[in-house]
Amino acid sequence: MKNKKTLIFCAIMAVLLIIPLFTSDPFVLRIVTECFMWVGMAITWDVMAGYTGYLNFGHASFFGIGAYVTAILMMKYGWSFAATLPAAGLAAGLAAVIAGLPTLRLRGAYFAIATWALQLAIMQVALVLNITGGPDGMRLPPFLHPEFFYYLMLMVVAATFLLLWFLLERAPFGLKVKAMREDESGAMALGLNPTLIKTEAFVLSAVPAGVFGGIYAYWITFIDPASVLADIITDQAMVMAVFGGLGTLIGPVIGAVLVYAFKTYFWAYLSDYQVLYLIILGAMIALTVVFLPNGLWGTLTGYTGGKKSLKKGVGLDDASVDDTVEKKGAEHV
Amino acid sequence: MSDAILQLDSVTKTFGGLHAVDNVTFDVQQGEIVGLIGPNGAGKTTIFNVVSGYFPPTRGRVLFKDEDVSNLPPYKLAKLGIGRTFQVVKPFPGLSVLENVVIAAFCRHPRRADAEKHAWSILEFTGLADRADASAASLPLAGRKRLEVSKAMALEPSLLLLDEVVAGLNPTEAELTIKLILKLRDSGISILIVEHIMRVIMNISDRVAVLNFGKQIALGTPAEVAKDPEVIKAYLGEEAT
Repeated sequence: MKNKKTLIFCAIMAVLLIIPLFTSDPFVLRIVTECFMWVGMAITWDVMAGYTGYLNFGHASFFGIGAYVTAILMMKYGWSFAATLPAAGLAAGLAAVIAGLPTLRLRGAYFAIATWALQLAIMQVALVLNITGGPDGMRLPPFLHPEFFYYLMLMVVAATFLLLWFLLERAPFGLKVKAMREDESGAMALGLNPTLIKTEAFVLSAVPAGVFGGIYAYWITFIDPASVLADIITDQAMVMAVFGGLGTLIGPVIGAVLVYAFKTYFWAYLSDYQVLYLIILGAMIALTVVFLPNGLWGTLTGYTGGKKSLKKGVGLDDASVDDTVEKKGAEHV
Repeated sequence: MSDAILQLDSVTKTFGGLHAVDNVTFDVQQGEIVGLIGPNGAGKTTIFNVVSGYFPPTRGRVLFKDEDVSNLPPYKLAKLGIGRTFQVVKPFPGLSVLENVVIAAFCRHPRRADAEKHAWSILEFTGLADRADASAASLPLAGRKRLEVSKAMALEPSLLLLDEVVAGLNPTEAELTIKLILKLRDSGISILIVEHIMRVIMNISDRVAVLNFGKQIALGTPAEVAKDPEVIKAYLGEEAT
């Protein structure tokens, strides 16, 4: 079983590694590179949502912080690109600690609202500061090697996937985090410090997002608050993870690939109807929550952690709430 | 008193104007089973929550192994050696029975392989080993209560607080759980137990503390307590005159 999974992982990696040998079409490489990035955003978002049971509506904060740190260090301080990536991750991690200590005490929907507000606040800060270029954004020196970004993004996302897989599915940390999702107050009696574990999970989710942001900035060569700190970044990662299946790593990967493929198709061939994309995204998340609460992967494999995560995320995890809902349902029948 | 593993020193817990626990003083000696009884709302579970760190006491002190632990959070007390169960059982329903116990075992065995080994030995001891891979949500009530005890045991506590682990079980299951509690005591763990079933508490406790409306009205051996007029009054009401 374990060998089979390793084999599938290696096979997929092998295919992805040789794609650039067969095509140097920048359009194709760009699409696939961006797809890797969304896979990364979806799995890191799932660390909080699926494993810990906290819906983070401000995941773009970390992406944007990473993007701005890379841009500022390269443009204002002359750092080399490679040196800025650890700094981008570090800055995002630090932001997660500072934001997490007060907000992770909140439960359910309150955490979601607080993180959403945080994202808006960071966006406003980026809009007014001089160092970020305000609404004009920042330009980075063009580095026009699509293959370079293809491999870099692939490696960073694959490394993130393996790190998360090890920490969440193999190491003790994963079970401790799941204990937070299942019952925080019960976990306290077993020697687990909820504030510490949730903050660690938040940092684990934020650091890779910061690195993706840093790569994105140098790759796209232009960032502004509307492109790296926008709600759409958070929302899209969220739809991908929820659609694919929360509480697993493979679910968000599948969700990200499918949603991104749909998005690309839509923008490439139906661009006259762009406004419809957001409507479809919204409808998709609503339909998924109602009809596939465990996501695509959860529905296929019978894994039910996703539903649990969603319920806890919106503050419905209380068993008594569950019971009332079921009883009411029974009465109507 | 140096043999006392747990001492409650005039512990008071108020919620607004309500004295849920009022000036309660008793102790648990090393290797002893102390029963905590009283009518509904007497403050038994509140005492558990104070001792296990969920509520800090409003006044008074809780001493564990002669150290003041009154204001420590639950996870620190768990590390020090206080394990507890919950009256409303708190399994991690989405995880397997084994994983539930492994999480508790991390407290003493940080490496996963060690924790799993320890968890297996606990499950053998409590008789849940054959359900180890089942989801905790699939266990019947008796199984959940035993899982609750297994998790508390996996902390390798020196003091175990058991909150109604027998109530709601059928006689056969109850008998098994009582044997389990006695086995735990024989392995050197001190136990503070809350139970509504008098037959259980009177049989297994070395001493019994009785609460009524938050106040401690008696403390002594089961035989002494059963004859205490205050206790009889609390349970049966006053004689009509």
